[in-house]
Amino acid sequence: MTDPVATPQVPERRPTDWKGKVMQRRIANRYAAERRFHAMGLGAVLLSVGFLAFLLVTMIGNGASGFRRTEILVPVDFAHAAIRLDPASFRGPGREAALAAADFEGVLFESAQARFGGGVFKILSEGAWLTVRNKVADNPDILKGKADIWVPASSAIDRAAKSGTPDPELDRVRKITDVRTSFDVSFLVGADSTDPTMVGVWGAFKGSLLTMLVTLALAFPVGVLSALYLEEYAPRNRWTDLIEVSINNLAAVPSIIFGLLGLAVFLNVMSLPRSAPIVGGLTLALMTMPVIVIAGRNAIKAVPPSIRDAALGIGASRVQVVFHHVLPLALPGILTGTIIGMARALGETAPLLMIGMRAFVSAPPGGLTDPATVLPVQIFLWSDEVSKGFVEKTSAAIIVLLVFLMTMNGLAIYLRNRFERRW
Amino acid sequence: MRLVRGLVLASALLLAGCGQDASRQQIRIVGSSTVYPFSTAVAERFARKNPKFKAPIVESTGTGAGMKLFCSGVGAAYPDIEDASRRIKKSEMEGCTKAGVRDLIELQIGIDGIMLAESRAGSAIALTPAQVYQALAAQPYGKPQTARTWKDVDPSLPDTAIQVYGPPPTSGTRDAFAELILDAGCKADPATKALSKTDPDTFKAICTKIREDGAYVEAGENDNLIVQKLGANPDAIGIFGYSFLEENADRVRGIPLNGVHPTYDTIADYSYPGARPLFIYVKAAHLRAVPGLAEFVAEYASAWNKEGYLSRRGLIAAPADVQAKNAAIAKALTILDPKTLTE
Repeated sequence: MTDPVATPQVPERRPTDWKGKVMQRRIANRYAAERRFHAMGLGAVLLSVGFLAFLLVTMIGNGASGFRRTEILVPVDFAHAAIRLDPASFRGPGREAALAAADFEGVLFESAQARFGGGVFKILSEGAWLTVRNKVADNPDILKGKADIWVPASSAIDRAAKSGTPDPELDRVRKITDVRTSFDVSFLVGADSTDPTMVGVWGAFKGSLLTMLVTLALAFPVGVLSALYLEEYAPRNRWTDLIEVSINNLAAVPSIIFGLLGLAVFLNVMSLPRSAPIVGGLTLALMTMPVIVIAGRNAIKAVPPSIRDAALGIGASRVQVVFHHVLPLALPGILTGTIIGMARALGETAPLLMIGMRAFVSAPPGGLTDPATVLPVQIFLWSDEVSKGFVEKTSAAIIVLLVFLMTMNGLAIYLRNRFERRW
Repeated sequence: MRLVRGLVLASALLLAGCGQDASRQQIRIVGSSTVYPFSTAVAERFARKNPKFKAPIVESTGTGAGMKLFCSGVGAAYPDIEDASRRIKKSEMEGCTKAGVRDLIELQIGIDGIMLAESRAGSAIALTPAQVYQALAAQPYGKPQTARTWKDVDPSLPDTAIQVYGPPPTSGTRDAFAELILDAGCKADPATKALSKTDPDTFKAICTKIREDGAYVEAGENDNLIVQKLGANPDAIGIFGYSFLEENADRVRGIPLNGVHPTYDTIADYSYPGARPLFIYVKAAHLRAVPGLAEFVAEYASAWNKEGYLSRRGLIAAPADVQAKNAAIAKALTILDPKTLTE
């Protein structure tokens, strides 16, 4: 208790001369370094923002017109057509068969030929008669007389009308009848087609949805259960380390490898149908699962041990601790990881090419085993089409994919903010 | 919590539901990317005309890869139709037979031309197959490749660097390019031509191997990309099918070979060296099992004439006698005699 207070042996030190020339220069250097770092960081951010802006501006610039379609008003004279169609046959049973058998193409061709002279195929879309068929299906009574029907224009007319460049064919059509360019619902509800004026993204969109559904239904439970087991139950030994390393490696494997795996296992061994969303989903689930495991383990690790101890202390079982306390608290983190993994799976093309999801599918898939394609593959397919009209459709499909992705990421951010707890 | 339980249940159900589909409701087509636009057009038309059949599924895999899929067996898991930008090879037919695919129906749907093309701003070069061969071969006539510019190949050609964008080796277009243009150019040299009898392997290597020093750029299977590259570089030359030339006539023009310009007529009468027939192969064993297959073949046959909708997509109609012969095959569904196949 009688410790003498030790006097520290501080050597004599002159106070820093802040005003000195040397010191001033060193301070100036420090500030300069600070400013340089600041500028570099800002430059990096601006560069990435610039790239993003460039991407968005080009896509929207090219793709906005893809959502619109040019239509031409054609008066179709059913009553005086060489091919007579009976309104009664399009009612009641046998209606579908009658609609399928009737030669609407011939009727439209005849009316258009009378109106435009020649070159009907250069003016009207190849699928223009489908509009006529739908109109008749809605109201067979128009067959008794004459009807003015807006039908889609050919790709060349469509492009000329949208770009505003003078086109002799378009001018000729404009003199004869009305031409309008308006929002094209069929692009959002239709499926793939060989004619750019008739294509739609719904087929690919639905394919993407179904594929994602399978991926989520498989990767989420397996991923979450693996993460829970590894964090809460697994003994710390060499085997667990090995599994951990393997999962981390799996997350970094190039996606095309998963495609080859899917081809070998799901198609060749299990003989599941080719080009089906179920196979695509299974393949992408393999790819997404490690991402969910890693995100899940981090989220579970972040739950404070005091919560586990408290629950165990009042007599909860291990399962109760995990499912009543740990998992709900870790869920926001797990969901964020899941959605990031899903977003990556949504944009994936390479593995799906291997399992045949690059096919031309002109009807939206009805179920998990129907042939389908997905949005990124559809974009890839359209970019390779001969007809120039597909350029804007490709960009429009990219916009749809980006909106889908942004919605998913937005959902991830919302879930994180909504359920996140801080300690 | 409920979410997790629901998902576990859903995935269990899903796995249980993973059955095999024993029979198939729709036609499956695989094969050449050159025939793909025509097959999809017919498939679409077929589906619109016949709502009682499901729309056919067309997959562009390339002729070789498609042939492998097509020839792996008979049954719902295997495709019904193969698109081919060349005739089936004898070796492929043997593989087919081994897997139980004995009876094929062969239909020539029309003709395609492999073009050399350049930008409209280019120098309006005119070539012969021999010049193309000497500029692009890895070892022209067995000698090392030294040409940097077209002038090095032939003094009459312009002094611009050799830069050719073309398809990769997996493509049927590349096979046809090698066979129709490089081979022809190669045989222009009598000594090399003699090799084809004495040493066919060396002959093949000398004649079809393309240089890999950067003068020939493999542009993937995307022909639109090649057209874009040509637009950006007037000195470059691209290799692609006739339909792309027709669609982009405002930007690129065909390069005459042996003085023959690539047009509809010169390809139709085979006077343009790059003309080649296109085929589809149908499995006879599937005709009864797959609904609509015979009708699909009939639809194809109705579309391949000069006035048909396929010609609006860039298909060149075959000569009238070939058309008549194939229409008869399509009608009677005559089986191909494997003895008529060559290497």
